[in-house]
Order: sequence, then C-alpha cells, then structure tokens
Amino acid sequence: MEMNPQQIQDRAREFQERIVPQIDEARRNLVDMNHRMVSFIRANPGTCLVGAVALGFLIGKIASRR
Amino acid sequence: MTTFQNSQSNGTHGSDDQGFGQRVDQIGSEAQHLWSNARSAVSDLGQTLDLKGRVERNPYGMMAAAIGVGYVLGGGLFTPLTGRILKLGVRLAMLPFVKDELMGMAEAALQGYQAGQSTMGGQSGVSGQGGAAGMGTSPRTGGPGNIS
Repeated sequence: MEMNPQQIQDRAREFQERIVPQIDEARRNLVDMNHRMVSFIRANPGTCLVGAVALGFLIGKIASRR
Repeated sequence: MTTFQNSQSNGTHGSDDQGFGQRVDQIGSEAQHLWSNARSAVSDLGQTLDLKGRVERNPYGMMAAAIGVGYVLGGGLFTPLTGRILKLGVRLAMLPFVKDELMGMAEAALQGYQAGQSTMGGQSGVSGQGGAAGMGTSPRTGGPGNIS
C-alpha cells in the first residue's frame, strides 16, 4: 500500500479537519471550567481554604503511613 | 441580744453580697474586655494576612499553599513523596535552561547543515556548469557532486 504525497497530504488535511474542532471544543471547555473554578474560589474563600488544608492533611497522612 | 446578733449578721451578709456582686461585675467587664481584645486581635490578624485579597488575586496559588500547609500538618514533610515532589520540581525548574541549550545546539547544527548544503550546492553547480570543460582537467570536482 503505497501512497503518493498528494494522498498523504489529503489524509493529513482530513485528519486536521477532524481533530482541530475537537481540540477547540476541549480548549473552550477547559477555559469555561477554569472560570467557574476561579469564581467559586473567589465566592467561597474560607471554605475552599479549609477544604484545601483538609485535603493536604489527608495526603500528608497517607504519605506518612507508607 | 438576739436582735444585735441578727443585725450584725445581716450587715455582714449584705457586705458579702455587695462584694460578690462587685466581683461578678468586675469579672463580666474583664471578660468583655478580653473578648473585645480577642476580636480585635483576630480582625488585625485577618487584615494583616489579607486572606480574602490574596485568594482574590491568586486563587490557585492560595489553594496550593493551603494544600501544602495541610500536607505539613498531616506529617508528610519527611516522607519519600516529598523527595519525589522536590526532584520533580527541580527538573521542571531546570527545563527552560535545558530547552534553551537544546535549541541553541539545534540551531547551530541546522546552520552547519545549511552551510554545508550551500557549499556542496556551489561546488556541484560549478562542476555542472563546467562539466564538459572541466571533466578532463579536474576529476575531483565531480566527486562531491556525485556524493550529494
């Protein structure tokens, strides 16, 4: 199965056209999630700080048991 | 006789009640004073630390710092996981320097390759132009052209 350069180029373009929208959507989702997380942290700073300390405490406990 | 005793005892009880009440009032005022001092100390500490402002400015950093504080409080400081995290941090911190070094080496290699290509192209171009005339005179000029 040999492919000439034109076929390889077409395949690459097709792959790009299929993948690029998915990457764009994933990027948009990540940006949206980041905005939501930052706004939640800013709205509830005490809760988030206490939760983060508790999470770190749990990680430290688990790490010290090993 | 009894009347005197009674009056005397009544007077003593009255002064005791008065002293007790004064003490209760004093303790209450001292407790209020202590409470107000504690509240002002807590508010001063809060203003000094400015946790809300810090979270507002750098939410992820503050979360990471809080996780770090919890990690230390949980006893995870002197563990192998800390060593691994530190090693990873050092490697990540060294990454930009290594990247710059590699980029410099790659650029130098590319420039050398391009210079070699241009030199070879020039030599083969010379041999190609004077191919008919120079074939017999200098057999080595055709050498690099054949190799490329």
